[in-house]
Amino acid sequence: MSVSDSWQRLPRPLRIVMSRLPMVFPQMLGVIFVTFMLVRLLPGDPTLLMLGNMATPESIANLREQLGLNGSLWEQFVHYMGNVMHGDLGVSLFTSNPVAKDLIERAPATLELIFYSMLLTVILAVVLAVIAVVKPGGIVDYFSRIYGLAAGAIPDFWIGLLLIFFLFSLAGIAPAPFGRIDPLLEAPPAITGFYTFDSLLAGDFSALASSFGRLALPVLTLTLVNAGALMQMTKTTFAGIWRSDFIRHQRASGLPERVIIRNALRNSLPPIITLVGFLVGFLLGAAVLVETIFSWGGLGQYAVQSVINSDYPALQGFVLLASAFILIVYLIVDVLYELADPRIRV
Amino acid sequence: MTQILDFIRFTLRRPAALIGTTLLILQIVAIVFAPWLATHSPTTADPISSLQPPSAEHWLGTDVSGMDIYSRIIFATRINLLISVTAVLFAFLVGVPIGLLVGYYRNWASTLTMRVLDFIQSFPIFVLGMALVSVMGQEIWNVAIVLAILFIPVFARLIRAEVLSLRERPFIAAARCSGAMDATIMFRHILPNALTPSIVQVSISIGMAILLTAGLSFIGAGVRMPVPEWGLMVSVGSQQMILGVWWVSLFPGLAIVFSVLSFALLGDSVREYFDPRRETA
Repeated sequence: MSVSDSWQRLPRPLRIVMSRLPMVFPQMLGVIFVTFMLVRLLPGDPTLLMLGNMATPESIANLREQLGLNGSLWEQFVHYMGNVMHGDLGVSLFTSNPVAKDLIERAPATLELIFYSMLLTVILAVVLAVIAVVKPGGIVDYFSRIYGLAAGAIPDFWIGLLLIFFLFSLAGIAPAPFGRIDPLLEAPPAITGFYTFDSLLAGDFSALASSFGRLALPVLTLTLVNAGALMQMTKTTFAGIWRSDFIRHQRASGLPERVIIRNALRNSLPPIITLVGFLVGFLLGAAVLVETIFSWGGLGQYAVQSVINSDYPALQGFVLLASAFILIVYLIVDVLYELADPRIRV
Repeated sequence: MTQILDFIRFTLRRPAALIGTTLLILQIVAIVFAPWLATHSPTTADPISSLQPPSAEHWLGTDVSGMDIYSRIIFATRINLLISVTAVLFAFLVGVPIGLLVGYYRNWASTLTMRVLDFIQSFPIFVLGMALVSVMGQEIWNVAIVLAILFIPVFARLIRAEVLSLRERPFIAAARCSGAMDATIMFRHILPNALTPSIVQVSISIGMAILLTAGLSFIGAGVRMPVPEWGLMVSVGSQQMILGVWWVSLFPGLAIVFSVLSFALLGDSVREYFDPRRETA
């Protein structure tokens, strides 16, 4: 029995995952290399920059040791790689905590924000796109054109501020844009790290209501800005399928419209999956801006603080985590894409 | 020249193209005549007239340090467009030859280059931009350089995709048979036929670059006060927005929207103009 035979005998999902996995390692290595080089790009001596006026020979030597700046570039890289492998991302100069600990503490806040934004963005984009294609020339079609154009031109941080002004300051219907939960309420016991899930699990409904309320404006901001592009691309894909022969055949055979739409959507799925992967990348970048506005206390705000305070270990750690996260998302997207399209041979 | 006239005629018949071009012309006017259009100095603080609402003296109000918002928006057009246009043109000039070479020659070097480009693109663009600018120093030119690096893969990929389909076409084979050198084939025969998607992309990328610049400045990883820059201006007003002081952030944000919109509309029009299926009536 040859290798290829036993390979083909494996279940298809497993084959897809196994053929994709080896590519992740050189990419991860690249990500580690880039984050490593980041601090080396600093003009001049980074220790002097970070310590400023408080620099003494001992403190400089200490910080050089702490940042792994001793030895040749190659030795430094090996040292850094070893540390990363052990989950040691250095110590934040600002919070004095290990960067890895800081990041893990803040990750759920950002993930919860991205999770709900992605959910809402996909629903809004796909619904608008489908209606616009199925009923061309209708009001939704017209609205979606203007929205698609405008959404790409609106800065997310600006629309977030406008929402705060109109819905919180003027109308008073939105909850205060500070943090993930009402400060008078206690955060639910951390199980998943998502306040909405945790408060549901704890049966704490006032915490649930508060955390959903606090999510409303930031999620709305991210959705409004990102759904436009996704909608336009979904529209292009779906319109192509909608005009194809097999859809015309289904209509000629008298299938109900609902079933035809479902079948057309099923066939537009692979490109949409890819787009959603890119969307996560965009949302992560946008979260940096939106978290700052809403004092969200997640990874994005941590990154902004590290930029403002010249806290390079923290910034380095954030870039590493964000890039690794995106690589994994792209991996999942690739796997889902091949799962959704049975024609692809693995 | 006739093509320019033709494009103008094409523009006049399309509302979207007309709006885009008008907005662009307004921005060029603001750039050229900024010192005459502005009513106040864009960088002089005046604590006495801090946070004044729009009035006859300060048309769009003043920010927390008393700087005139209207004048700053006008002057910021220079900074924002300077950064974005330079960055995208640089990315275009570097990305196009890379894409041409990578598409034309198929060897280990071009495979490696594509891998590197893929790799750059796999980073979350805003996160990478933020980290690079804060490491290199928060200067106007560093923002432009970082944006250029982030946009090079976009152009290289677009050109490469075109070259890959063009190089198999009979007219290229004919050129090769008649003894044309590789360089001649690439630059004289392939390049002119491969450029259209990239030219459309220039306009769209400038819009994206404006948004990225503004975002970087907003979080404090771009240019610094008192440089007049739209994103920075929105950020200056972000603290007061919640107190009902809307004018500090609203107007610079509108400037960003109009500017990005103008380049998006222009890109769309250029694409339609070059579309071979367009009726040339």
